[in-house]
Amino acid sequence: MAAFDFRAQQERARHLSVVLVLAFIVMVAIISLLLGALIAAFLGGDPTAREIRLEPAPAIAIALGIMAVIVGVALFKIVSFGGDGARVATSLGAEEVTEDTQNPFKKRYLNVVEEMAIAAGLPRPRAFVVKHEQGINAFAAGGSPEKAAISVTHGALAKLNRQELTGVVAHEMAHIANHDTRLNMRLMGMVFGLVILYTSGHALLRSSIFMRRGRGNRGTVPILAIGLGLIVLGLLGVLGGRILQSAVSRRREYLADATGVQFTRNPTGLANALKKIGATTAGSHVDNSHAEEARHMFFAQATGSFAGLFSTHPPLHDRVRALDPQFNPATDPIYTKGDKRILRETRHELFGPWG
Amino acid sequence: MELLIILLVIVALVGFVAVLYNRLVGLRNAYINAFAQIDVQLKRRHDLIPQLVETVKGYMKHERETLEAVIQARNQAEQIREAIGNAVGDPQAMSQLGQAEGALGGLLGRLFALSEAYPDLKASENFRQFQEELTSTENRVAYARQAYNDAGMAYNNAVQSVPSNFIANTFGFREIGMLEFEDREVIQQAPRVSFD
Repeated sequence: MAAFDFRAQQERARHLSVVLVLAFIVMVAIISLLLGALIAAFLGGDPTAREIRLEPAPAIAIALGIMAVIVGVALFKIVSFGGDGARVATSLGAEEVTEDTQNPFKKRYLNVVEEMAIAAGLPRPRAFVVKHEQGINAFAAGGSPEKAAISVTHGALAKLNRQELTGVVAHEMAHIANHDTRLNMRLMGMVFGLVILYTSGHALLRSSIFMRRGRGNRGTVPILAIGLGLIVLGLLGVLGGRILQSAVSRRREYLADATGVQFTRNPTGLANALKKIGATTAGSHVDNSHAEEARHMFFAQATGSFAGLFSTHPPLHDRVRALDPQFNPATDPIYTKGDKRILRETRHELFGPWG
Repeated sequence: MELLIILLVIVALVGFVAVLYNRLVGLRNAYINAFAQIDVQLKRRHDLIPQLVETVKGYMKHERETLEAVIQARNQAEQIREAIGNAVGDPQAMSQLGQAEGALGGLLGRLFALSEAYPDLKASENFRQFQEELTSTENRVAYARQAYNDAGMAYNNAVQSVPSNFIANTFGFREIGMLEFEDREVIQQAPRVSFD
């Protein structure tokens, strides 16, 4: 088998990253200009005048200010993570697994991470487990392979056998090798910058309602309008960011599946892990409230629907079919297994029939 | 003027040779690094085996011969591993190591097959831990070997192809041996098989 060309993939990831940043800047510029115009119109003009007149200079000045705030917040978010995968994992409620663990599930997981690091020719990332999550999922984070961390959910450890867990960890290792984790960090920061607009609009609206109670009606109309404008445009911006993010993410998932198989030289493990997501009731769902922010980092769809403009992952069946062309959901022996059997078989593998 | 042109040609030639030479050095370092990783994992494998034998001895009373053969194969493989030192890539050393590790792998496979007949052993927590550690070690060896063979292939290609083969011949860059284990099939399947 020919060696997999990471360099070209990384080059493509970097290219995509540049295009993405440009698209984000254009979007932020448009939103800022609209907001600038809105604020200038309501605050600059005479409130008693019949018609609102728009002065371009203050509008642009305000727009530039807003842009600076959005970009600043995005940068702050990116820098505050410092590219440290372990911090992202911890913020999503994951706990580190250390060498001295006595738990056979965790010991095996740690071994698998080490094996995949050797297969990928990268340093071993720190390994984490997201406790209490019953769904089968995993994610990788980190600005560089040296600072990377891999996390899997409790459900993944309890429901996947060694071969399937290897497939999942290989997929995450592939995200690290292809520099997807760095791209993801940036995406997270950018969307956060736009969330700030929406949040401040909310705050403004609430305070204007409060002011209305205190004093008379005068002067609250512009604030109300600006607050609404912030909410609407902020929301649009977040939606736009999400669509961008999701489109990129869906592409990178197929690539990570392929790279993962290059590492293990075995598509069955990954295919079966995906089938088990479809076979279990919890699927790949993640409950953690921060999961929404990081949904494009997971192994499979963590929140929301499985199809459409906002889904961060390709449809499950399509991913399985790419690995196992004969897959038929109605008759597949793994896909039609129940939760109980899957849990029992995994325990059986580790502890034997009497464990 | 002519002197200048001659000088320029010489400088260009030397530069060309230097670039090719440096590429060969880079490729050589890559396979040596890759072998270091195999070495770590083989050491781990060899360290685990005496402990494993110690653990199963009490249960597998009728398999004395197999256990002794495992220990013997382990000692031989360890000897070859230690002797390699600076001979990384030497075709003869690589094939010796491959044979010894292959034989050891075959015997381990037999040991685990025989363990099926001892339910007490299979139920012991200690044995299960060994199974996991050994499975992981087999996988690590397999992946590290893959990396070494990939790096070795890239190096050999450079040694054989024009124009770097002239530089390789002049400066003594020799073709190296790949690391293949005798029981190739068992080992290549190792990532898929748990000893269950």
